[in-house]
Amino acid sequence: MIIAISVAAPLAFALGVRLVPQRASRRVARLVLAFVAALLPFAAAGSVDGLSLVFATLVSALGLLATLFSAGILADDWTNGYAIWSSKPVYFILLGAFWSAMLLVVLAANFAVLWLGISLTTLATAFLVGYSGEPAALEAAWKYLVLCSVGIAFALLGIVLLAHTSIADGLAPTAALSWTAIEGHGLRGSTVLARLAIALMIVGFGTKAGLAPMHAWLPDAHSKAPAPISALLSGVLVSCALYAIMRALGVASALGVGSFASSLLAWFGAFSIVVAGVLMLTQTDIKRLLAYSTVEHAGIVAIALGFGGPLGWFAALFHLVAHAFAKSSAFFCAGIVQRERGATEIRRLHGLWNASVSGRILLGSLAALSGTPPFGLFVSELLVIAAGVAAHKWAPLAVGVVGFALAFAAIARAAIEIAAGAAPGRSAHIHARSARPYARLAAVTATVALSCALVLAVLPWSAFGTVLQATAARIGGGP
Amino acid sequence: MIDAILLLAGAVLLLSTRTTQMLVGYVVLAITVAVFVEPAALSSPLSLALFAVSALLKVAVAPVGILAFVRANPKAGDLRPSLAAPVRLLLVVVFALVAHGAAVSALGDVALQSVTIYIVLCGVGTLIVHRNLLSHVIGLLVLGTGVTLAGALLAPTLPESVELGATFDALVATFIGLALVRAFFAHNAVLDVDALRSLRG
Repeated sequence: MIIAISVAAPLAFALGVRLVPQRASRRVARLVLAFVAALLPFAAAGSVDGLSLVFATLVSALGLLATLFSAGILADDWTNGYAIWSSKPVYFILLGAFWSAMLLVVLAANFAVLWLGISLTTLATAFLVGYSGEPAALEAAWKYLVLCSVGIAFALLGIVLLAHTSIADGLAPTAALSWTAIEGHGLRGSTVLARLAIALMIVGFGTKAGLAPMHAWLPDAHSKAPAPISALLSGVLVSCALYAIMRALGVASALGVGSFASSLLAWFGAFSIVVAGVLMLTQTDIKRLLAYSTVEHAGIVAIALGFGGPLGWFAALFHLVAHAFAKSSAFFCAGIVQRERGATEIRRLHGLWNASVSGRILLGSLAALSGTPPFGLFVSELLVIAAGVAAHKWAPLAVGVVGFALAFAAIARAAIEIAAGAAPGRSAHIHARSARPYARLAAVTATVALSCALVLAVLPWSAFGTVLQATAARIGGGP
Repeated sequence: MIDAILLLAGAVLLLSTRTTQMLVGYVVLAITVAVFVEPAALSSPLSLALFAVSALLKVAVAPVGILAFVRANPKAGDLRPSLAAPVRLLLVVVFALVAHGAAVSALGDVALQSVTIYIVLCGVGTLIVHRNLLSHVIGLLVLGTGVTLAGALLAPTLPESVELGATFDALVATFIGLALVRAFFAHNAVLDVDALRSLRG
């Protein structure tokens, strides 16, 4: 029951806020209810396993930050766009639906409900991606709809095959899609069917995670969505899709095709890192660069899972959490900077270091995303490399390291170009409204996200790190 | 008999040049699969309710929505295939042969395996062959129908899960697809996928 309440809360609160009569009261109610919605999943801690809890924490934290940021940066300049869904009430309802759908994914107990959650995220976010109603945003939304729908159709096909295999192996139909039941039962049916099922699930959910070569929708959708939605898409939706892959990987071991799934994932990961690294070098738009960086980081998580073992799983979970905060901060700041400068082209963002606090936070976020110390992603990337060495998977590791270098070079080049030069005069700030309290709230939100990415550098030694280590050891087969 | 109907309906999807022709092929395919899936869906009130919603979306709401759009905007009636008719015919033959050869021996005597693979291939083919965005909505619906058929064949004891998948597949394709088509047409006055090429690199 508490799980159902936790899942429904963000959407119910978003709808409930509409009943508050005054605009100012509505803003306050929205923020208070977002805090409540973010805390509710912790009440379900006893009913779900460690992996679900880690992801529920991530979804809640970033759902809250995105709501705060939306209330801040978007408070003053809501403009009705070209499309019928381009309005403030619809935006917050879709944001609540998106948050609820992601909670459904990570708190589900079987693949059918997990798939439903992933499908619902498409329903909510397609309109958020095309929120502005401008042609480029509609194009991004269309690509997102078509490619992700094909992906989740293949994932469903894989789930159906998994159900067939489970039932044929003697599992009761009611438990045929539960990962706990399948892992506990230790099925040994047809290897061909099991491989096909797991491959379809990895390809299907991998499409939603933006793994190359199924990534074509991601740079468009993440760069054209409003900044808080880009942050949620990159930081959490991709993580939710990777969570689905983690569940498939756990089941693959029980089906006796664990090494096949690990190899497939390691190569998908390596390919994604190197493809993203190459394409990042050609980017001229900051939001598009960040979007391709998401493909790279999804690849890093996939390759860590492919390396396997407790170290690989811990590295994957750690990287995923650190990336979610760093990327959210980067997209939040890109949104503020876009508002200040009226542009996202890198060549038009020069002098950001001297221009504003949000510019400096953006540069800090870029440093975090490039894997520079002292940020958490530096530690997690080292752990990924260590996991590859421990697993003796040299070929995907080598390809991945080349990709790391390319991505680092691309981000470093963009960061230098953005930081250098003189800041434009005050008159060039097209939408400078930094004095307003809600705009300050947006900047504070971005700072909090970046601070989390920084603090996460000590995560392996923290209480949360202990939860991650225990989860990784349980799933990855360690002590 | 059911094999032949589905084979022909799939061929119509790829060979059509007008949206209305393609809709006829799609509706025949959707009704045939619904008739095949219906007995399993009767096993519980939830699966029956979900079946009713998905059938309504696939057989009535989506086709009527597309037809109404084409009537209001005659230019949307041209499917704008990117391949010539003989090549599309060859593609139909190739899909049929691939589906026949790809049947998984491990599935044993599960009926209609090849036809299910053929429908899935036709769904993907529809997305690739035609440039009209409405044909992409139909392609997504066909793909969902193929997956529903696979679910009914491979997991007949899980009708709720199968119908849940069918319903949300149809919901996503119908509502988001048609809403985006409408918004896109308001801007461009064409529904050619080639017009969606501004975001590259």
